[in-house]
Amino acid sequence: MPHTITWYDRLRIERLVWSLDQQLYDLPRVQRIATRREVRANLLEAARDVGTREALRGVGGSRRLAEQFLTAEFGDNPRHTWIGAAYAAALTPLLLNFFLAEAANAFQSGVTATDPHATGVFTWSGVSWLQSAVTYTFNDGTATGHGGGWTPLAYLLWLVITVGFGRLWRLRLRRRPAVAPA
Amino acid sequence: MSETHDPQLLKGVLSVLLLHLLAERESYGYEVVQRLQAAGFADVLEGSVYPALTRLQREGRLETRLVPSASGPARKYYRLTAGGHEALAGGLGAWSRHIAAVDAVLSRPLPPSENGD
Repeated sequence: MPHTITWYDRLRIERLVWSLDQQLYDLPRVQRIATRREVRANLLEAARDVGTREALRGVGGSRRLAEQFLTAEFGDNPRHTWIGAAYAAALTPLLLNFFLAEAANAFQSGVTATDPHATGVFTWSGVSWLQSAVTYTFNDGTATGHGGGWTPLAYLLWLVITVGFGRLWRLRLRRRPAVAPA
Repeated sequence: MSETHDPQLLKGVLSVLLLHLLAERESYGYEVVQRLQAAGFADVLEGSVYPALTRLQREGRLETRLVPSASGPARKYYRLTAGGHEALAGGLGAWSRHIAAVDAVLSRPLPPSENGD
């Protein structure tokens, strides 16, 4: 007996479809969209046939389904993750800049703690290996600073973290052909 | 017929089953699942079939076309390519050899057990 699809059923299906989509970011965009549409169409068909609960049970959850789609595309071998690399590439500068800025602020605070009306030029060598020297010019306790940029080693560290989180060494020079969108 | 099947055995033959079903006639994903279940594979999950279809498509054994559906979104129909027909023929041959080899072993008489059962 065909089941009626309610808005609640649609929401449950959409939840799975978009949850799946979020886990397929390593697939080419066109293929990810095609997969999303196909899974949605099949789920709606199944929900009308056997009910939404049974239809959702049949696909076995978004995580498992995503894993199977990724395995279907990239094979059983360990694989890289672009989304992991993207997160690492975006978050590493934020965290590194935060800690380097905090370290420089600590130096500035140290100067003003020693002399609240400090005047003159003070230079701090920066965090070893990661940061160039920071120069503060104080005028009656008010500071302006410059310097403190990343050293080449900091850029190298950023690259290494990005490659590490994305496991990009698993990238092969010869890519598999992508699935043509229907 | 609704006996359960060993998932590992099923995994090994799923591709050949899918190719054969789609060689009979083109189908969309959920219809393939229904046909598998009607054929006795009641415990086959959609979550296994859809990625397998995607893999066969990526390998060039299936091609697809979108067909509008009156009851919902357009359906993605799968059908075999020439490479798919070749793969099916190869799979059928391998399956026949596999059955023959397994039967040859399983049909051997067993020695009587020591406790006389």
